[in-house]
Amino acid sequence: MKKRAFFVSAVLAGGAVFTAVSLAQQQLPTHLKELLELGMHPGHAFIDEGREMFHKPGPNGKSCATCHGQDGKKLEGAYAKMPRYYKDIDRVADIDTRILACMTKYMGYNAKDKKFKKKFNKWSGPYRVPLATYVASLSNGMKINVQLDDPQEKKLYEYGKKLWYMRVGARDFSCGICHTVLAGKRIRLQGLPDPVKNKLYTHWPAYRFGSDRMWTMEDRVRSCWKAYLLYVKQWHQKKDWVKKPPPYSDWVIALELYMKKAANGATVEVPGLLR
Amino acid sequence: MKKVFLAGAMVGLGLLVACQPAAQQAEAPKKAEKKKLSKTEKFRIALSNQDKYQKACSNPTQLVPEGIDIETFKKDMLATVKFPEGGVVGKNIARGEKLFGDPKKGGKSRRGNCYACHCGDPKIIACGNIGPSLRGYGKRGIDPKDTYIRIYNSWAQNPCSVMPRLGYHGVLKPEEIADIVAYMHDPNSPLNK
Repeated sequence: MKKRAFFVSAVLAGGAVFTAVSLAQQQLPTHLKELLELGMHPGHAFIDEGREMFHKPGPNGKSCATCHGQDGKKLEGAYAKMPRYYKDIDRVADIDTRILACMTKYMGYNAKDKKFKKKFNKWSGPYRVPLATYVASLSNGMKINVQLDDPQEKKLYEYGKKLWYMRVGARDFSCGICHTVLAGKRIRLQGLPDPVKNKLYTHWPAYRFGSDRMWTMEDRVRSCWKAYLLYVKQWHQKKDWVKKPPPYSDWVIALELYMKKAANGATVEVPGLLR
Repeated sequence: MKKVFLAGAMVGLGLLVACQPAAQQAEAPKKAEKKKLSKTEKFRIALSNQDKYQKACSNPTQLVPEGIDIETFKKDMLATVKFPEGGVVGKNIARGEKLFGDPKKGGKSRRGNCYACHCGDPKIIACGNIGPSLRGYGKRGIDPKDTYIRIYNSWAQNPCSVMPRLGYHGVLKPEEIADIVAYMHDPNSPLNK
């Protein structure tokens, strides 16, 4: 009798594990699947918002469309080559950084205005995420083609590679631990992808239904750093914690460059839809 | 004559070089106290805190130290392990369970977070498959001291292992680790039933 009860419970437990795992692997909830079948995608709302913003004039009367053409004609394929070196700002920029530079340099927004900066950085703000999604979507169907022509690009790429394997922080993590060594395994029920080998850069910026937000790669990379438990002197002192690198910094862009270079040849499909 | 002059110049230079860093060092802490570190500065310091052993593991294989002999590596890491006064098996099993993964919160725990990689209590399904399963751990005849060392500093037994060195970085205190060891070896804990 006891044996039988044990057997039944084992089967039940096994079944529960199996369904939980398969749920995690299926990833998409049914209502989103149905929406997708109808041709609707939550990320498309961000593209529309971005298009509106693209044509809206800034404080000095210029809009993005003034330079980049109606409906971003001159920007088609631009995202597939980013991050790259820009002469006018003298640095390697990803899409978020490039948009910030354009807005402050050519459209009359004040970079030192804290209100504007806050609104720009915000996830739900009207500038960064919608514009990045819109501009990225202009390269849909094109192949990613990041070339390291400029010495600054080469330098940053090498640094990105170093950062990828750099073990640091209170958990002795590196990007490579989870996304190269342990790729294919699970942290709890969350599968770990390998963005370098599997060329996963194609579907970013992506809509993540877990947080109900659009994420650019900048957000994704910076949030990954939270898992490192970085600290200044001692971990058990809360004031010493360092959660994320500052936005638009070279640390973030170096990693983006490393991953996107690895995705060369894959086709851009923006916006993605992820857990 | 020339030689004397040269020697004098050398001594002078040497003095200059020797004095400069000392003067800078004296000034530096004062400035740091006054000024709050910017986020960029903080992040840079956090990255530069990478220790010698982390650096040895930062190669593309990630799991084999480079530049440090494995035996020396293990010995150095073992030397960092601090043991609690009351022995490696603690008394507060309930606290150990909470740190291992609070069953009331679906196995979550901010600092121990064992379920992220290991399975344990059969009731908690959301467990990772990175580390080996810990079901029936207490029945395997493992010395509690080895368990303690593995949690405190896993690199003492397994250089460049994926498992975080929780005690080494101060994420868990020695007494807290002892409680986790007690929970894992207790015959009545859900791990061993």
